[in-house]
Amino acid sequence: MASPAPRDRMTELTVGAGARLEELVDRESLAQLAKSFAELSGVGMRVFDSEGKLLADASLPVELISYLTTLRHAKNAVESTVSAVKNLDPGAAGQASIDGVSGGRYRVVALEHDGRRVGRLVLGPYFPPSLVDIPSALIELEPALDLDRARGLLTLAPRVTDDAMDRLGRHARSALDVVMFSGLKALLTGSMHLASVRESYRELQSKNDKLQVAYDRLKELDRLKSNFLATVSHELRTPLTSIIGYSEMLLEGIAGEIAGEQREFVTTIREKGEQLLGLIKGLLDLSKLESGTMSLRKGTLEVASLVRDVAQTMAPHAKKKGILLLAEVEAGLPTLWADGERLRQVLLNLVENAIKFTPASGSVRITAKLASLGGPSGATDDGGLVLLGAKRTGVELRVADTGIGIPEAERERVFDAFYQVDSSSTREQGGTGLGLSIVKRLVEGHDGTVRIESNEPHGTVFVVAIPLRRSTLQP
Amino acid sequence: MQLDFVNRELTIKLVYYGPALSGKTTNLQALHKVAAPGSSGRLMTLETKDDRTLFFDLLPLTFRAQSGLAVRLKVFTVPGQVIHASTRRLVLQGADGVAFIADSRTSETQANTDSFMDLKDNLREHGLSLRQMPLVIQFNKRDLRDVRSEEEIAKLAAQGREPVYLAVAMRGQGVVESFIGLLHLTWSALDAEHDLARKFGFDSEGFMNGIAEKLGERRGTAELLSACVGGALDVLRPEAVP
Repeated sequence: MASPAPRDRMTELTVGAGARLEELVDRESLAQLAKSFAELSGVGMRVFDSEGKLLADASLPVELISYLTTLRHAKNAVESTVSAVKNLDPGAAGQASIDGVSGGRYRVVALEHDGRRVGRLVLGPYFPPSLVDIPSALIELEPALDLDRARGLLTLAPRVTDDAMDRLGRHARSALDVVMFSGLKALLTGSMHLASVRESYRELQSKNDKLQVAYDRLKELDRLKSNFLATVSHELRTPLTSIIGYSEMLLEGIAGEIAGEQREFVTTIREKGEQLLGLIKGLLDLSKLESGTMSLRKGTLEVASLVRDVAQTMAPHAKKKGILLLAEVEAGLPTLWADGERLRQVLLNLVENAIKFTPASGSVRITAKLASLGGPSGATDDGGLVLLGAKRTGVELRVADTGIGIPEAERERVFDAFYQVDSSSTREQGGTGLGLSIVKRLVEGHDGTVRIESNEPHGTVFVVAIPLRRSTLQP
Repeated sequence: MQLDFVNRELTIKLVYYGPALSGKTTNLQALHKVAAPGSSGRLMTLETKDDRTLFFDLLPLTFRAQSGLAVRLKVFTVPGQVIHASTRRLVLQGADGVAFIADSRTSETQANTDSFMDLKDNLREHGLSLRQMPLVIQFNKRDLRDVRSEEEIAKLAAQGREPVYLAVAMRGQGVVESFIGLLHLTWSALDAEHDLARKFGFDSEGFMNGIAEKLGERRGTAELLSACVGGALDVLRPEAVP
């Protein structure tokens, strides 16, 4: 049977049909209460609910009645008394009595709760002190009755006056009243607790749903932004290719000789055009990386040649700024399984940045060495370390500069797209704030990590770690 | 309202609403104290360790009209503390009338306003509007210092819709008046909606007087009702307005 919802249950208990006796009192405790009443008064007690179901039974054996049940006629009479007691309505007064064939009397007391009948107490049998001898009706009814024995047993039967029985009945009723009140209180508290928890849960759930809708909308907006970025970058690149192409042709003299300032101006147009193209390519890369459409063309990659190539490319730039560029590659490095073009882009970007933020007479050092990388990200404290935390080997590329450094708090954020540590330095140093976010995504595309350390006494170290493929670990 | 045709029983739910510590429980205690034995059950209080109402207080009052119809009044309080929002809403469910117990102190004016808005919101959650709900307002704690003046309250009450009562619930003053006012409004509304008086051959006026008597009042209902300032006690019985 399905139980009603807690809030409906609460309504039922408070303003509705109310609780049943069985819900209000604990069966075990009720049995103890009845037992203690019987011991105190010497009269048995039984408790029935409003449907006549027996909830507690503390009847005391009365030997006279036990004897009568061994006799044929008397037995029937005793049984009919018991069933009459079961069906006796205590009426508006709340108490009623019924006499048995033995002269024993039963008292039925109504149990009411909140103005409604919830059950009945049956007290007895007891024998009024006025009963001095076996009733003549019984003698007539049962020819087989041993009168001497019956008289002897009558002297042992519990004797209570009707007046005392009134008081006992009232007492039992008020004791049960207290129990029922406490029971209802506990029942209500429980239902109310349950109902409030459900209500709070419902509230939270509806808030969650709203949040989910907002989150989905933001995600959709983010996707639209990426699409927009990709489209716009692509559309910007097309005319720019023409600008660069035509300015190159002008410089090559295809449209006639140009000289002096003309050449200088056209050179500037071409240089700025290429700068712009680089920026647009970066945006395109970012949008491809964000939308997950960039594919890496992985192959075997010699780290030494990668580093050498980048150092050679950047050397003129460093020299022009009066910065010492050093490259150091550990001997015997294994080859990486990686997209050489993209890793070159990563390293170039980091070195370019390092040079940009290092003042004249400073130094930039590129190092490559074998290192153990620790477990894959996310396998730190969550358990299962023994399985997940196995050290992996990889190549660590470090680009250390002696520049202005990056404050600890900013180190995570510099990898966000368009983020600048010091936006006032943007003008001074140039740059779009795209480079590092692309670096991070490319490195992650290689299952690697990039982090920032301090270069003592001042400066920054970017550490790129690319794990070796498992197969390359095996001889 | 719950109507049990078989047993000829009518159960009406009245809710005492208001900010924390405004005297809702005190009102119920005062009613319980004056109610004649046999007409009221035990006052049930579900309270926390700090003596504040955790879920509600419940005072059952039962009256049997001459027509044989038993009217059971269940008077509830809600927990005033802000955190019990969901409980307040649960207790308010199915209410037939609301007494709003306000704290008269000027310092509590904002708390009264907030609680009243909360009542409005919670009624709306149950698909009810304040306009439909029989409502009386009681300004409690009139004996304290720094309370809003009677003139101010009377002036505002005169412009308002609902009857306003002044009370010192701790001393039982104004408690029965507020209750009778609320019951009168609620009964009028239920009667207008369900035609109870005719269906059950019920004498509404005698019933109200009987209740006032059971609450230890020698004054008649009319006199008790006139204790309010402002508002209209007949607003829910349009046919009574000339």
